[in-house]
Amino acid sequence: MSDVDVMDYLAGLPPGSTLAALRRERPDVVKHLQGSDDVIFSPQDDGGLTPAERAAAALRIAELLRDDALKAHYRARLAALDPSGALAKTVEGKATMTEPRWDAVLAHVDLVTRGPGSAERKDIDNLLAAGLSSHAVVSLSQLIAYVNFQSRVLAGLRMLKGAA
Amino acid sequence: MSKPMRDFIHGELEWRPWVAPLDLNAATEAQLVALKVTPSNRAVGAYSLVLAHDPEALSERSPLYNGIMFGAKGLPRADRELGAVAASRVNGCAYCASVHALRFTQLTKEPEVMERIQADGVDAALDPRRKAILDYSAKLSRDPASVEPADAAPLHAQGLTDLEILDLTHAVAMFAWANRLMQTLGEPAAPAAKDNPP
Repeated sequence: MSDVDVMDYLAGLPPGSTLAALRRERPDVVKHLQGSDDVIFSPQDDGGLTPAERAAAALRIAELLRDDALKAHYRARLAALDPSGALAKTVEGKATMTEPRWDAVLAHVDLVTRGPGSAERKDIDNLLAAGLSSHAVVSLSQLIAYVNFQSRVLAGLRMLKGAA
Repeated sequence: MSKPMRDFIHGELEWRPWVAPLDLNAATEAQLVALKVTPSNRAVGAYSLVLAHDPEALSERSPLYNGIMFGAKGLPRADRELGAVAASRVNGCAYCASVHALRFTQLTKEPEVMERIQADGVDAALDPRRKAILDYSAKLSRDPASVEPADAAPLHAQGLTDLEILDLTHAVAMFAWANRLMQTLGEPAAPAAKDNPP
């Protein structure tokens, strides 16, 4: 696990800055936000959803949310885990999808990011039918939800930084 | 938003999973440990048993949720609930909106606020402080990339401190998370009719 606090890094908050100090008034939030990031992207047991796939899914969400800092962050993480760039092409380029399992994952990323209220039982059934375990389905759901959370916290911190 | 917001005010919906809940008899030690920490005492049951398929994520998310919604001082709890309701309305999560509308009303004893949100959604006419909270919460939920430094001005004008704005941001963001789990791993369902056993 890294010593860098990911949210401080993404929001550009140096140690000791006013907003970094404000965040520390919520020590449980700082601790478990970082802890969530650690276990979502570097789990001890990935349940069959690999770290590279997790980074690729997160990059796709950052694209959908049009967040440049998040995109750069996940692009770098993915590049380290997927040196061939094969996964990156499926989320950033217009490349035709590669195989049914990954197609199903990306379709779910898009659905849950853009329109969680329109998800149906068949969407989960599709993931299970494509070969994801229950563990992987829940991990994917947590990941999508977490990156959506992360983008909102980041947006709020940027607002406060710009308004100071 | 394709699902109706039934029973929005009453907080009486149940939740039916689409992923088979963990069988406690087959649970690992890590899963059992993760299940001891639950986000709220109402949410034990099928929802936690589904999330326990990934015990590492559940173990971090539960204390994060509690820190955000119940952390001492800062933004009053009712205002965090208002942020949660606004996010849930934008995200179309009837279950979440229902539960948190009820909590808001329990905390404030002002049922008319949630009645207005039930009728008019995030465009509801509220007092200026709550309106500022509602507007920011809805915008942050809808499109975080559109949030600008100027969006802090109405909140500051209503006397919110930066810590209170951070608390509100955390609450709204937490429901970007919660709404996405609740609506995509299962669905709200009418409570089992207690008076009419099958």
